[in-house]
Amino acid sequence: MATWMSDEALGARESISETHMLVTELYNPANQRDPTRINEIQARLQQLQKTEHAWAIADSLLQNEHSPQHRFMGALTFTVKINVSWNEIDENAAAEIMQHLINRFVALVNKGEQAMVMRKLASSLVAIFRHPATPWKQAVWQLAACLAHGGYISEEESQAVDFQGRILPALGKSGSGALLFFSIALAEEAYRLDSEPQDGAGEKSAVQRAISNIKDGLLLAQYALREIVHHAKVAGDDAVDVALGAEAMSSWKTWLGVHGNRQRSSAEDVNVLAVNCGHTIIETLRVPSLSESAASILTQAFETRRWAFDNSSIWLLSEILADSFVTARIAAVRSGDEGNESMSFVDLLIAYVSHLHLGIFSDPVTQQNAAILVLVHGIFETPGYAAIDDLGTPRVLEFWNEIAESLPDELEHDSPRYQLVKSHIAQVVLGLSGKLLYPSAEDLEDWTDEERSEFGAFRHDACDYLLSAYPVLGVELVTVFQRSATSYLEARDWRNFETAMFCIAQLSEAVDENGHADQCLDAIFGSDSFARLCAGGEIEIPLKARQTLVDSFGKYQSYFERHSALLAGVLNILFDSLNYELCAQAASRSILTLSKSCARVLTADLPAFLDQLDQFRSKPTATVSTMPKVLEGIATIIQNLNTDEEKVQTLERILGFFVQEATTARAEVTGPEHESGRARGHLVLSCIASIGRGLRSENDEPINIDNQADGNPYPPSFWNAGPGAEAQRLIMEAMRLLIVDFPVDNSIIEAACDILKAGYTETAGLFVFPPSMTVDFIKSFPLGISGTDVIMATASSFLASHASHAMNIRSEAAALIDHVAQLFSSMLQTPDLYDPETANAGIDFLARLLPKYYPILFTSGPELSPESPLVVLLHFTLHALTRPEPLPLRSASLFWIALIDLRGNTPEQTSIIESVHQEFIPRLCYTIVQQIAGRCARSDLVSLNDALRRTIFKKMVLARPALRAALDSLNAQVTDPSGQQVPLLSTQDKSRFLESLVIARGAQKQSLDIVRAFWLKCRGMNFDYAQ
Amino acid sequence: MSLSQNRLQEERKQWRRDHPFGFVAKPARTPQGGLDLKTWECAIPGKSKTLWEGGLFKLTLIFPDEYPTKPPKCKFTPPLFHPNVYPSGTVCLSILNEEEDWRPAITIKQILLGIQDLLDNPNPESPAQADAYNLFKKDRPAYERKVKQVVKENQPI
Repeated sequence: MATWMSDEALGARESISETHMLVTELYNPANQRDPTRINEIQARLQQLQKTEHAWAIADSLLQNEHSPQHRFMGALTFTVKINVSWNEIDENAAAEIMQHLINRFVALVNKGEQAMVMRKLASSLVAIFRHPATPWKQAVWQLAACLAHGGYISEEESQAVDFQGRILPALGKSGSGALLFFSIALAEEAYRLDSEPQDGAGEKSAVQRAISNIKDGLLLAQYALREIVHHAKVAGDDAVDVALGAEAMSSWKTWLGVHGNRQRSSAEDVNVLAVNCGHTIIETLRVPSLSESAASILTQAFETRRWAFDNSSIWLLSEILADSFVTARIAAVRSGDEGNESMSFVDLLIAYVSHLHLGIFSDPVTQQNAAILVLVHGIFETPGYAAIDDLGTPRVLEFWNEIAESLPDELEHDSPRYQLVKSHIAQVVLGLSGKLLYPSAEDLEDWTDEERSEFGAFRHDACDYLLSAYPVLGVELVTVFQRSATSYLEARDWRNFETAMFCIAQLSEAVDENGHADQCLDAIFGSDSFARLCAGGEIEIPLKARQTLVDSFGKYQSYFERHSALLAGVLNILFDSLNYELCAQAASRSILTLSKSCARVLTADLPAFLDQLDQFRSKPTATVSTMPKVLEGIATIIQNLNTDEEKVQTLERILGFFVQEATTARAEVTGPEHESGRARGHLVLSCIASIGRGLRSENDEPINIDNQADGNPYPPSFWNAGPGAEAQRLIMEAMRLLIVDFPVDNSIIEAACDILKAGYTETAGLFVFPPSMTVDFIKSFPLGISGTDVIMATASSFLASHASHAMNIRSEAAALIDHVAQLFSSMLQTPDLYDPETANAGIDFLARLLPKYYPILFTSGPELSPESPLVVLLHFTLHALTRPEPLPLRSASLFWIALIDLRGNTPEQTSIIESVHQEFIPRLCYTIVQQIAGRCARSDLVSLNDALRRTIFKKMVLARPALRAALDSLNAQVTDPSGQQVPLLSTQDKSRFLESLVIARGAQKQSLDIVRAFWLKCRGMNFDYAQ
Repeated sequence: MSLSQNRLQEERKQWRRDHPFGFVAKPARTPQGGLDLKTWECAIPGKSKTLWEGGLFKLTLIFPDEYPTKPPKCKFTPPLFHPNVYPSGTVCLSILNEEEDWRPAITIKQILLGIQDLLDNPNPESPAQADAYNLFKKDRPAYERKVKQVVKENQPI
């Protein structure tokens, strides 16, 4: 025994004995319920496996006569010890370990060792193979020779004997099996090494040595498989060693992976061998006990290693698929006689046809492929629901989808082959129809949520196929489903009607706008049966069918625009469907879509819709997700009434109800029903806001600026001084009830803001309120509430809507600016009150108003007193640049960019802007330099750099001295290697930084790189991402 | 065929072969019914046992000519209420940023799973919209209420 494995020392003997006991204990059934003890044993074993005695321990365990678990642990210990002692193993030790392990391997094979131990020991052999000091190259060949010889022989000696002709035939079944374990382990290691960055790629590197075994590995697999096929022919299927066959196939696949990663063009002999070996595996499909493994391995190879199949393999496979034991298994799946265990054959079938793609439709189609196509179509006949009981249909569908997608681009439309494929695509549509039937309520009850989703996904995949097939089949495709829909509607077969309508709805993408299928749709929606449905005579229509029908209405918006006579009936169904929870969402969506596109036609039916609305609004399905959509739809129709008098009548009727609801909400919110009150209040304001959206005038005519240039921003109109005033008052009343002294709530604020914004784009109308209403609303909220961003965004929209005549709302704009200044002042004076949302919303508001409203902002004139609102606002925006919150910082940066870009229209305005720049650019530069000198977060550099580069680009004269002064003020110290305190930034560093920025002249990336480098220098290099 | 087209064809095949449960990803169709590989229509389900469970959120992936050297733009349609989604609907996620963690090897599947993960794990360091961000930071119950409403309005049919 080699010295490295000696167990002479007392310590070694004790460790060996302890390890044997620990392994016995580890596998003792009595200990299996004591995880603490198991963990202790494993921890101790791991310690022992790393000691200096581990070699001796491993060998002793491997020689245990009685327990395969001990021998398994011995092999594992060898692997661990090789890895632990990696750096101590020299060339001699590596050779000794290899020789020793080979001898043990051969001895265990001869004793008929269990697969579990042999696999582990094969891994140990691979572990030593991988070591760079190991001289081993043709490992599969040498190990095979050793097995044939009965003990270790050198690589040179082994190479003298013909591998294929003499060594492989000399191996028994157990020898071949054990060698396959090693071959697979080596191939897996080669694949892994080949995918990793390599330390050395020379001839002696582990990966190169492993790769030189590809040919031997494939020869071994082929030999083993041929023996098995031959044996099966002679002795019958029962005599087949299934495990050996599976190992050989797995070995082929793994070596294929290794070879596939290499330059295959330079190894023609290996290519041929790999293909031949694949050919043999295809033959094993005829051996029943091996066919399933073969099908699975071949399917995987088709997916990633298509080159491993030549014409001859494809021909052989087509023969087997068309007429063999495999054909029968696939047919059994189709007839429901076999379950998912035969799916590997269906997978192979799909892999084969996908491999050939359009090539399967040769001219003429071979006899085998014709039979295979029958099999493929037959999968749709599998009983049960697709994706649940029938797993074949979704897979077959994937193939047909690929065919349908590529046909128009790959074959000439008038070619016979195109017509042939087209007929198959049409056949798939028919086959698929039966598979799309939605499950009955009883079946659905037993399904899990996941199964429901799976089936839903399959239906959508099927419709994706229909959309791919449409360019090939044209309107005939829609006709198929139209005929079904019409006849099932007539027969009140709702399940089948639902399926047909589902397909028609999905095809809307292809036919709605162009009107190609209008005749088909006329046949459904113009039928007497459909008229009965519209009249409400079909109350028994099941919910699923109703949901699909309702959804389809929304998808055929253009069709109904062209067929407006149908609309009243359709909307009747939709309103009726609002009462059912399952349908309410889709129905409200479709009501909105159709009302918007056909509003003018629907005005005559408005009274009926209002009656239906009255019924709906008290139903539990009238929620914030459904009711606002319905109201927006109705308001769109109202907007199309001929006169304002007609409009106001209906609007008062609707709004009166919401004022009542607002009163109820107000009463509820103070008592135990406060949550209901809050929800009701939210619903009321959301609905009113939706009415506002619906009432927006349709024409996109620009607002006439001249009319308002010097006038009243709120001129008297029908809606504020005439008969419409009562309706406007109702809206204001509802808002007052739900805002003033009502608990502050984000969603309510958002809805109220939507109401205000609804009129901003209008010149006159119900939602055009006095400007003071917006100002009062905005000023009514205290500092720090949630929703400030929405409120201030409304303020911005308000100012934007008056931008063309800004001076007409001078006092309102000034009031808003003062309000923001007060909020900022409070936050500056009391830092605890600092609210990032208010800061961000306020600064964003200022940045947006600057271009049009700066004269109002700068009213304080060229002399800037510290208390003036302007100084407070500017000071606050600088302060925001120094804070850690990202949004206010980003807004502040944008504000300063806007301020720097500002140009006055008159000499007076220019003078004010100049004085602001003179006063504040030095402060801005100081703030930015302080921040980028390591104070800010790295992610804030982009925003700070944007403000900095704009200042340099536009205001160089002011910026340069200001930046120099700011840089001079940086005086951080660091300790140098000699322990002395020295400045972090030298004078040269500072000037170089400034000059680089000046040279960059505001270029985004260049400036940012300079600023980042500066920040890193100040902050320390360990903050670099690369670190 | 260009590199980006090849890669997108391959992505399409891979997705068909294996995609995470409940997700949708397919190239958009041209008016003629063909496929526009540079625009994908996708849908991401909310993760189970999170606030987003039950919702199916539609988004569009727009692939630049330089894909996969450059990442696709991922945009929720309509824009989604979420701290890391810009008001335009564009998703702010480091793996989608060329200057951060984008790598050409990142697949469509990984992108969509990454976005699904982001739904319930917003990154407060990279806010993209003020509405959702402020509510998330300041008023968690209101944020959760709003998410639940968003989920309700984005149910799969």
